[in-house]
Amino acid sequence: MAETIFEVKNLAFTYPKNGVQALKDVSFRVEKGEVFGLLGPSGAGKSTTQKILTRLLKDYGGLVRYRGKNLREYGDGFYEDIGVGFELPVHFSKLTAVENMDFFKRLYQKNIDYSSLMERVGLGEDKNRLVGEFSKGMKVRLNFVRALLNDPEVLFLDEPTNGLDPANARIIKDLVWEFKERGGTVILSTHLMNDVEELCDRVAFITQGVIREISTPRELKIKHGRREVRVEYHENGRTKDKVFPLDGIGDNPEFLEILKDGSVETIHSGETSLDEIFIKVTGEEISHE
Amino acid sequence: MNKFGILMQDEFKRLAKYNIIQVSLGVTVLWLAVLFLIGRNEAGAFIPLFIFMDVSMMTMLLIGAGLFYERQENTLKTLMVTPVSTPAIIASKIVSAVYIALQSTVLIALAGHFLFDASINFFALIPFVILIAVAHAVIGYLVSMHVRDFTSMIAMLMLYMFIFAFPSIFYAIDMIGGGWETLLIVSPSHAAMLMIDFSFGAEGIGTLTIIGVVYLSFLSIVLMRFFVYPKYIETAIKE
Repeated sequence: MAETIFEVKNLAFTYPKNGVQALKDVSFRVEKGEVFGLLGPSGAGKSTTQKILTRLLKDYGGLVRYRGKNLREYGDGFYEDIGVGFELPVHFSKLTAVENMDFFKRLYQKNIDYSSLMERVGLGEDKNRLVGEFSKGMKVRLNFVRALLNDPEVLFLDEPTNGLDPANARIIKDLVWEFKERGGTVILSTHLMNDVEELCDRVAFITQGVIREISTPRELKIKHGRREVRVEYHENGRTKDKVFPLDGIGDNPEFLEILKDGSVETIHSGETSLDEIFIKVTGEEISHE
Repeated sequence: MNKFGILMQDEFKRLAKYNIIQVSLGVTVLWLAVLFLIGRNEAGAFIPLFIFMDVSMMTMLLIGAGLFYERQENTLKTLMVTPVSTPAIIASKIVSAVYIALQSTVLIALAGHFLFDASINFFALIPFVILIAVAHAVIGYLVSMHVRDFTSMIAMLMLYMFIFAFPSIFYAIDMIGGGWETLLIVSPSHAAMLMIDFSFGAEGIGTLTIIGVVYLSFLSIVLMRFFVYPKYIETAIKE
């Protein structure tokens, strides 16, 4: 049985200044070696949850256990275990990438040789350039390297591919997979369905500070997806399409007739996207801006 | 090296990269040039004033600017998720501000001692400068964390100077009368001025200097504990 890394029970948090209740009775577990996603729109409570789990916010209600021990009982040594990749760039702009990494690296007892990682994320040639001269995408990739500097066991990632082109997003996703393969645990906050589908073992839908559903992306699709098959076929010189219920499709005479006819152009199971499932479960849409 | 030592070392590297140490040295050279222009006979009277302006105003400005850059670059938050305590992070920045203040003070005071025959009690001046720099670094922090942009920060520092520093300077050069002394005692700048004057052998201000030391110590502790520390955490998390 996998070790429970985080156990969150009835977590609640209200921002003292504006009185906004950011989290209401949030409960979930994160097991060792899994990629756990927090999916929701801006202001849903993802970042607040992550700030609590990384001990940035401390005046919360409920209970958070890290490896079986109350998170409140941990000291600064907790940060030797975790790596945090923030959404926004977090580097000294008048230092080079290497100087930035050296600055942070020395604060940890355990650390990695980050040169190969910088090469991997495509920053090898720019490592001696000032970070202030970097593009947004380069800063995001440097954030990722920064998060892995101390060879963490738990990685918190906030929108890790936001602002990256598809090729660089692919590299980051591959690195997350490799981290997981080595036994690492990832807590991923995102509004990008694609990241969730590709990376997450389990995902929590969160809106207005409440977790609406937790499951694997596959189970969510099976549970909430449309069980249907859409067929495009050729008839009387025209392309037509028809949707058939998936249940009992083997006995559906009309469907079988089209198949026998040989006039099928395309055939798709009616997979519902996570976008649609999210809207169905939460009643809210996620902005893709 | 322990983590505080690493933080300090990195803080100095960063201050050098951001030209803050160089700017401070440049201002010190400017003060020295002004002293030479004033001439040997008059310069002695201006040395305490220049040290006061450097240790109080420049410390506030430099630490405020440094912190402002860090806020813009979101680096406060990423330091909060390292195995270093927040008090150690804040302390490293204050120690670096004290170093910059001491660097200027020592250069001006040595020039004053050897070139302008100023009578200086270094055993009083150095600890006093450390306390003055700490207090003004804390005030600089406070100002910097309450403003939205660089212009507002400069405006706030100017406002502070008008309310607290300039009256003390006017008092020091006899532009305003002795009746203001009671009011001025609540000004951190005036407490600083008294301590520096005492180090330069000013007479009859022993009691006021002790009050100034107690006041700046108390003010630094209260501001740090109840305002700067919580505001630092709030600012870092909000990034």
